[in-house]
Amino acid sequence: MDPERAAASVEDLILDRLAGSGLSEQAGDLIMAALLGDDELAAAVRADGERGSRPERAEPAPAARPVPVYLRSVIVEGFRGIGPQAALRLQPGPGLTVVTGRNGSGKSSLAEAAELALTGDNKRWSDRPATWRSGWRNLHAAGPTRICLELALDGQPGVTKVIREWPAGDGLEAGTAFAQRPGGPRLPLGELGWREPLELFRPFLSYSELGALVSGKPSEMHDSLQAILGLDALIGAERRLSAARREAEAASKRSGAELPALLGLLAGLADERARRAEAALTGRPPDLAVIDALASGGGTAPDEAAAWLNQAAAIALPGREAAREAIARLAGAQERVAALAGTAAGDSRRLARLLGEALEHHAAHPGEPCPVCGGLVLDEAWAGRARAEISRLTAAAAAADQAHADLAAATRAVRALAGPAPPVLAEGAGPGGLIDAAPAREAWRAWQELAATGTVADLIREAEDRFGALAGAVAQLRERAAVALRQRSADWRPAAEALAAWAASERSARRAAVILTELRAAIGWLRRAGGEIRNARLAPFADRSARVWQMLRQESNVELGPVRLEGAATTRRVALDVTIDGTPGAALAVMSQGELHALGLALFLPRATAPDSPFRFVVIDDPVQSMDPAKVDGLAQLLAWAARGRQVVVFTHDDRLPEALRRLQLPATIWEVARRERSVVELRKSEDPVSLYLDDARALARTGELPEEARAVVTAGFCRSAIEAACHEAVRARRIGAGARHADVERALAEARTVHQVVALALFDDARRGDHVAARLRELAGQPGVTAFQAAKSGTHDAYRGDLARLVEDTARLAGVLRR
Amino acid sequence: MTPRELLDEADRLLSAVVPGTRGRWPRACAWLIRLALERALDDFWARALPEAATCGMRAQLLLLPRYAGAATADEARQAWLGLARATHHHAYDLAPTAAELRRWHGHVRALTERLGGLP
Repeated sequence: MDPERAAASVEDLILDRLAGSGLSEQAGDLIMAALLGDDELAAAVRADGERGSRPERAEPAPAARPVPVYLRSVIVEGFRGIGPQAALRLQPGPGLTVVTGRNGSGKSSLAEAAELALTGDNKRWSDRPATWRSGWRNLHAAGPTRICLELALDGQPGVTKVIREWPAGDGLEAGTAFAQRPGGPRLPLGELGWREPLELFRPFLSYSELGALVSGKPSEMHDSLQAILGLDALIGAERRLSAARREAEAASKRSGAELPALLGLLAGLADERARRAEAALTGRPPDLAVIDALASGGGTAPDEAAAWLNQAAAIALPGREAAREAIARLAGAQERVAALAGTAAGDSRRLARLLGEALEHHAAHPGEPCPVCGGLVLDEAWAGRARAEISRLTAAAAAADQAHADLAAATRAVRALAGPAPPVLAEGAGPGGLIDAAPAREAWRAWQELAATGTVADLIREAEDRFGALAGAVAQLRERAAVALRQRSADWRPAAEALAAWAASERSARRAAVILTELRAAIGWLRRAGGEIRNARLAPFADRSARVWQMLRQESNVELGPVRLEGAATTRRVALDVTIDGTPGAALAVMSQGELHALGLALFLPRATAPDSPFRFVVIDDPVQSMDPAKVDGLAQLLAWAARGRQVVVFTHDDRLPEALRRLQLPATIWEVARRERSVVELRKSEDPVSLYLDDARALARTGELPEEARAVVTAGFCRSAIEAACHEAVRARRIGAGARHADVERALAEARTVHQVVALALFDDARRGDHVAARLRELAGQPGVTAFQAAKSGTHDAYRGDLARLVEDTARLAGVLRR
Repeated sequence: MTPRELLDEADRLLSAVVPGTRGRWPRACAWLIRLALERALDDFWARALPEAATCGMRAQLLLLPRYAGAATADEARQAWLGLARATHHHAYDLAPTAAELRRWHGHVRALTERLGGLP
């Protein structure tokens, strides 16, 4: 593989390889989505083969090599261990800076802040454990959290800033980041063109990455090295694809697993829809169209039982009140006809007509006797009586006609109260055993009989009873049919719901089965491609890694050959070609924690300091953990070597690395971090411990803040520490220079407990020669030297009464003599 | 200064920003607590066993259980071990942390009260 491609981002390498891979488009889309993140992969899985747009390359590789960049300062407020604003100032150029601080002093917070500011959108942060994510904001800072990196871009005057800030109370994801060139407006971070270099040459080596190297689990070691190589994207993508595959596997089996329970539910239902559902479910493949129709409540074919029940529930009949009124009308009409009693309408009309003709005759022949009987004279008086009789007779005839017509109508109305029985009541109609329709059928028949053949008198006598019986029977039938309908629907609802749920399961199972094939192909391909990419990425740095290892290994008998990342999933591991005392062996088993850390550095430094990287700085958090003193010497040399061309910032929790740097006379700037209560973090530049203690003693001697006695005691204390430190330095330089082992020197120093013994060790290389100390000091430093020595011995218990400023200067001279 | 006054000064260094002590307060604070412990023991021995006051601290700590009870002696020993280490120069050791100082301060404060209450 050519070097240009080795330096491409993981996404680009994968895209290049996908082009000629023969992998399906969908599998390729899944891989690209998995590289981007959880949400993107979930969307690609949902897309179900519908082509989305394949993610574009996020930014075209800039043609020009990016401008070299150095750190100028890291300013942090309200983040992790840091409360009020604290700033680490750095010389923006090649050189070594060591920041020392006890665990909990806020030094790792500074290191992480610098990394978070530049790489905060990285998935590395979202993968942090929950304890980290809940504790990232400082407890003592109520306000916003803010990280500001001040950067120096080579050849550009002024300060470029990268700022990431979070409003008070918001989550880690709510942070916003921007960049600002000197005097310019806020720009999106991406404008700096560092997204890809950050992935390729990430200049940060964190405590947790080094820590994972020594956890002992091969898979964690593998992932940690992979992250150090800038290949976290591969780990993430493979993990996401595997998770998606497990999910798809589970989904593809879910509907099958749910089927027995659903069939059991249906078997318990008498409903004939249940039978159709069973048939649809057990089909190969199950008929989803039928299941959907059944689930939505209806059926696909007409349902006889439901039809009969619906008709039965809808049988129409006039109300009893209406029937009673009709029957009452019939009875009334019958009474009025009976009341006419013989006064037949025809007789009345005939008599009226006779009288009418007699009146016409009387008009033509007034005063003549009646031509019919020949007796009575038809005079005017008669004519008046005859006219009155005619109108009475005509009215009586009309009334009688009306009564008869009324009777006929009322009879018809009663007979028509209930027509022929509806078909739903026909013998044998309806599903058997469902509801007994016989009472209604019988009542209807009895009514029909009366209505068809009964006389008016029969009707008046019996209609009300028979209609009442009919209405009762019909009402009961209707009620039962309605209840049965409701029951049927209630019985079916759970089945309908279960069918709907199962149909959804089955659909996602079918989708999952399709995507599963693609996911399997994607995972297999990615593992093969990932292996090639990993080892291609390791190869260019192999020589330099071996050189770094050479510097660090010191007394180790382990020779480092090429490092490879092998295996996949649960069998992934780091393969090292190593020889122990010339014999090939399994290195990881025999390597100490310190050696594993050295290995981490050996893989990290060559990449982070690659010539193509714009980042001329590297930030390393506590590489000294569990290194033995000899390895610390090697580390000091390695860092000083790297610092010749790069700005190297190292955080460490004790003074071993600064001590080695001082002893080996390697140039370095050392900062000390201390954290007060309530997360007030203070940084001060640290020189060698002797100067530092003397500095402290001078400052304390001057301060008016402490009571005099306290001031005297504390000043004497710092003077004493300065003398002890000067002695340690002298002893260490002499003995290690003469080839003594670190551990032996440390033991000798630890055994010299009192100031007296320590000074004796420094003066005579023998802690037991305390008796000669005073005389020798007088020779070397005169009376002031002896006084300073005495004050160091007793002044921490009984306050020194003399001039404190003079004591400090005398101590400084004494220390100078002791260090020589 | 009495042990109590020394402890009050130490507390001030620990909890507030005292001018002139930037970055050097941890060790200064350790010295003050250490002296408070020594003075508290001195006062106690003056009443209980005057000869003990001239012994080294190691001997005093060995005598203490008999005269002041095991719990008190334990507290004194724990505080002394930490303070002695923090106030001697040790290669590779950085200054004590605020939490360590607070713990020793608490031990010595309790010890002072307890020793003051003994005859």
